[in-house]
Amino acid sequence: MIVRALGLIAGAALVLLPLAGVPYTTTLLLPAFGYAVALLGLNLLFGSTGLLSFGHALFIALGGYTAAALTGRFGVRSLELVLLAAALVAALVAVPIGLLCVRYVKIYFGMLTLAFGMLFYSFLYKFYALTGGDEGMRVLRPMLLGRPLEHLDTVAYLTGPFYYYALGVLVVAALVMRRLVGSPFGLSLRSIRENAAKAESLGIGVRRCRLAAFVVAAVFGAIGGVLLVVPTGLADPLLAYWTHSGNLVFMLLLGGFDHFLGPVLGALVFILLQDSVMSLTSYWRFVFGAILAVIVIFFPRGLMGLLDARRAAAS
Amino acid sequence: MLRVHDVDVFIQASHILRKISLEAAAGELVCLVGRNGAGKTTTLRTVMGYLRPAAGTITLAGMPIAGLPTHTIAARGVGYAPEESAVFGDLTVAENIELATWTRPGGRPAAERIARAYEIFPRLRGAAARGGTQLSGGERKMLSIARALALDPTLLLLDEPFEGLSPAIIPQLTEAIAAIAGLGPGILLAESNIHHVPRYATRLYVIERGEIVFAGRPDELRGRPDLARIVGAGL
Repeated sequence: MIVRALGLIAGAALVLLPLAGVPYTTTLLLPAFGYAVALLGLNLLFGSTGLLSFGHALFIALGGYTAAALTGRFGVRSLELVLLAAALVAALVAVPIGLLCVRYVKIYFGMLTLAFGMLFYSFLYKFYALTGGDEGMRVLRPMLLGRPLEHLDTVAYLTGPFYYYALGVLVVAALVMRRLVGSPFGLSLRSIRENAAKAESLGIGVRRCRLAAFVVAAVFGAIGGVLLVVPTGLADPLLAYWTHSGNLVFMLLLGGFDHFLGPVLGALVFILLQDSVMSLTSYWRFVFGAILAVIVIFFPRGLMGLLDARRAAAS
Repeated sequence: MLRVHDVDVFIQASHILRKISLEAAAGELVCLVGRNGAGKTTTLRTVMGYLRPAAGTITLAGMPIAGLPTHTIAARGVGYAPEESAVFGDLTVAENIELATWTRPGGRPAAERIARAYEIFPRLRGAAARGGTQLSGGERKMLSIARALALDPTLLLLDEPFEGLSPAIIPQLTEAIAAIAGLGPGILLAESNIHHVPRYATRLYVIERGEIVFAGRPDELRGRPDLARIVGAGL
């Protein structure tokens, strides 16, 4: 009840925020929406399937660069088409990578995904002619639902139509993921996480399901990546860097990976926290490291776990 | 339906099963009896595809299944309830049962399979919303079998279903297994205690050190006092 009430209040606040005339805070939340979408996917892989990827930023970068290539080089300005293309590209790339990675579990899976992430980072960094190297690629402002919105300046575009568009994509992504997690496929993933050998005896193709989860996570990652690069107008190699993947894992732990909305909360809190701590001290990485240690030691179920515990205590 | 013929299984360098042959037909309850470590679980795990036979053949309805992946064998209609129950603690009882209904398309609809599982184990209906970890040992055994039943199997492998259960639960489970046998699937039941072999068992195999040392009807075992030390006293 408390969690639901808090969720409704937070949802209403997110909807009303652009009307409050705080453009800085509003634009600050835009990356949180992108991360939240990507984390919903990552959590299908980790929370549901038990596979922790240390290279998920690869797919965020893939989405970002797809958006850059389509808007900047191919003149595709429809964000719906960009999202669709990013999802398709991510799925195509995720299949061969996933086929290799899902043969392994635990640290081996994590290391393989990290290796692929760094391979992609190197590709983005070194193939200057194709990717713009360390300068990255510009992402031009896309049309939303066929509307160019050229009369709006950047801030008005981002804090108005794009904000609601990104929020809408997050809501749709959450609904799709909710459906997926509650489906027989989602149940199968949870059974695989608990005991893959026993899941097999029920006719569940463990590798096939893991691969499907990997591809879905990649698609969500790429969609999140598109939402991330539109506000900055730039896709750069750091999107694929391993520290970015590390941040994703941090957000997941912060929000709580065993709760459906944990990734969304983790993304929102991470972005707000990062902004606050960075404005207070230049040692913000140190502070974040300490926070991560506290979460892992004292609140392994993250912030959502904390809310659940309060709810249990209240009842 | 199930035919295991001259199967040899090695685990690393150890020769665990030696020329094992057994059969189970539709609607038949076949018991594989032997002491701990005799090779009962290995036999079931080999049929289920967890272990690959080094020699011999395993066929289900005339189709070879040896060497196929476990999930393919399950999808062909072999349900498996392992000794340690294999209940998914993170899922509710209802989810545990539902899980098995979509992996084997065709046959009965999911709702019918679920209804049938609850019909055989009515106790689980009341516990449908409970998590797998919140069940007693007996309930876990029931759920493990109910879930295998929800696969709509043509053959059910039950590994020591009575192991560790309270004597009060055993008759309930025995009746449930009889009801399942009445529904049509063949059942291959591994058991270390001859006294737990249901009276309605149609065929009995005794396994000792990886070899079948007796094959016949349960009543024929009475004429074999030499097997008493293997299957328990009081034959």
